[in-house]
Amino acid sequence: MEISCIILMQLHITCDINSNRARCGFEFPVHSARWKIDPMASRLAARIAHALVLLLAVSVAGFALLRLMPGDFAEVLLMAQMDGTLPDASQVARFADTHGLNDPLPVQYLRWLGGLMQGDLGLSLVTREPIITDILLRIEQSLILAICALAVALLLAVPIGILCAIYPDSKIDRVAGIISVIGMSIPNFWYSLLLALLFSLALGWLPTGGHGTWQHAILPTLVIATSITGVLSRFVRSSLLEELSKPYIRTARAKGGRRRRVVLHHAIPNIVPGLLTFSGLQFARIFDGMIIVETLFAWPGIGRYLVESLLNRDYPAIQACFLLIAASYILVNLVVDITISVYDPRTREIV
Amino acid sequence: MLARSFVPKSVAHEKLTALLGRNGNMYASIVVSVMVAILILPFFAPHDPYQAQFLFRLQPPSLDYPLGTDAMGRCVFSRLLYGARLTTASAIIVVIASSLFGSLLGTVAAMIGGTPDRILMRFCEGISVFPALAISMIIAGVLGLGLNAVIIALIAIHWTDYARIVRNAVIVERAKPYVMAAEALGATHHRIARRHILPNIIGPLLTLGAYSMSWVILSFAGLSFLGLGVEPGTPEWGLMIAESRNYLRDYPRLVLAPGLTIAGFVIAVNLLGDALGDRFRLSQINYLH
Repeated sequence: MEISCIILMQLHITCDINSNRARCGFEFPVHSARWKIDPMASRLAARIAHALVLLLAVSVAGFALLRLMPGDFAEVLLMAQMDGTLPDASQVARFADTHGLNDPLPVQYLRWLGGLMQGDLGLSLVTREPIITDILLRIEQSLILAICALAVALLLAVPIGILCAIYPDSKIDRVAGIISVIGMSIPNFWYSLLLALLFSLALGWLPTGGHGTWQHAILPTLVIATSITGVLSRFVRSSLLEELSKPYIRTARAKGGRRRRVVLHHAIPNIVPGLLTFSGLQFARIFDGMIIVETLFAWPGIGRYLVESLLNRDYPAIQACFLLIAASYILVNLVVDITISVYDPRTREIV
Repeated sequence: MLARSFVPKSVAHEKLTALLGRNGNMYASIVVSVMVAILILPFFAPHDPYQAQFLFRLQPPSLDYPLGTDAMGRCVFSRLLYGARLTTASAIIVVIASSLFGSLLGTVAAMIGGTPDRILMRFCEGISVFPALAISMIIAGVLGLGLNAVIIALIAIHWTDYARIVRNAVIVERAKPYVMAAEALGATHHRIARRHILPNIIGPLLTLGAYSMSWVILSFAGLSFLGLGVEPGTPEWGLMIAESRNYLRDYPRLVLAPGLTIAGFVIAVNLLGDALGDRFRLSQINYLH
């Protein structure tokens, strides 16, 4: 047990949270050589162990979150159960006793973690229903939005980035650069309002809010997608430019490969792993965008749930959202890393 | 001016070079003077930004009310000017506090090295790749909302960037011969950090400060817009947009004016960052938060 803990800790240190660097900074070959394990399998195991350690750290942070809030935890819980009337001290003491809130914090944490494993996120202070049912209903809506947004962003950004890299310092490149700088400077929420003003109020093409039909999804998707398109296209541009300056491209050109073929068949496949990692890191931006967009367009997703529970001071729900965000972030990066090692044999060899 | 401009190799600059040429100093001084002016701007407000006059609600722009009045009859122009003060002040507090804290920890980590350094860097990377807006919202919410809570939350998220950048810069500086010479002469860690290294990493620090300020302004407005920032009724740009949302169809100027102000302000601050980065000959640092 102790040894496995130490190994886990080492993994945690040797791996990098930033998976971009993880591929270069990974120090696992020593172990795999000693244990004679298939490098691919050991990399996978290391990556999953890393994710588990991170999840554990996140759960500690999530647990601490509820204890950090102002006021006595037992009192807040009891007050919510009693419709906001202030309970007296003896009631609070009895409540804390029966719910084990007087136990040492590690014991409380373990009990809470046990419940968490079984999907018990506690009861909402507002609706007094299990939070997990609310979350499950909303997670699907948020996923739809996130996946559509990422797909649209990639569909826009990759061709733009390629064009800019093929014709650097051309008009296309300059315009794209200026637009991406402006895009980074415009507040998301204002931009959504402008789109709503144009497409819903002035032209009347799309609904202003709600969900159900595909038309409801267009504006939210568009806002999130365009908010990351600028960054993504700049990334494609710079990594492709770097790739195009390498000797093998010159060789391919010297052997008579046409420009389009060299770019599409030689250079592009080599920027895909980096692009995948970068897209994974865009999860943070997408989620930040979702908070705004879901609130604005009345889309019933996790972002809106978070805002509502913050405004209602529904602490268990806030905690649940935090855990969900962190866990999905870890999951996304795990999936990205695994995809890359499947796609790119070099990363397997390095490990 | 444009004819004499040329395209430098720095990535940070090339985006705007096409438009602006290469007068980094000039732009820096312009933006600095704009920022200084902003602190005196409220004195030019024609009306009290808090005073609601229902007789004059939703007035069109006129000489008396340069940008008209909002749904409660408050002068939009005056509110924008006061909003500039509030936004600039909070953003500068966040930037200064997080840069002090972050660069202190970053310098210490780089000078000590070893396990403490690793742990701190893992922690910083961990925080800086999470959804920043979501996490700062949660921190602000748990602290009980309001202006102070928002400022603390933004600092709590933000210092990690400084810690990372400063730590890396210190490690690069430390390996240079002049620091080794100082070490050979018997200078203490403290003295080396203060007298030799800090003056040399002030460039990256200032540049990061400008970029991070634009991020802070946007987050601040976003949080206020969601109702998680300043108190209702405060002249704050994000909140002004939120309060005018229901008038979007008939009075789009109420939403356009604060939005354009935020965008202009952030672009100006980003330009300052580009100018500084150019001046200190930095390649692009991590400002794509």
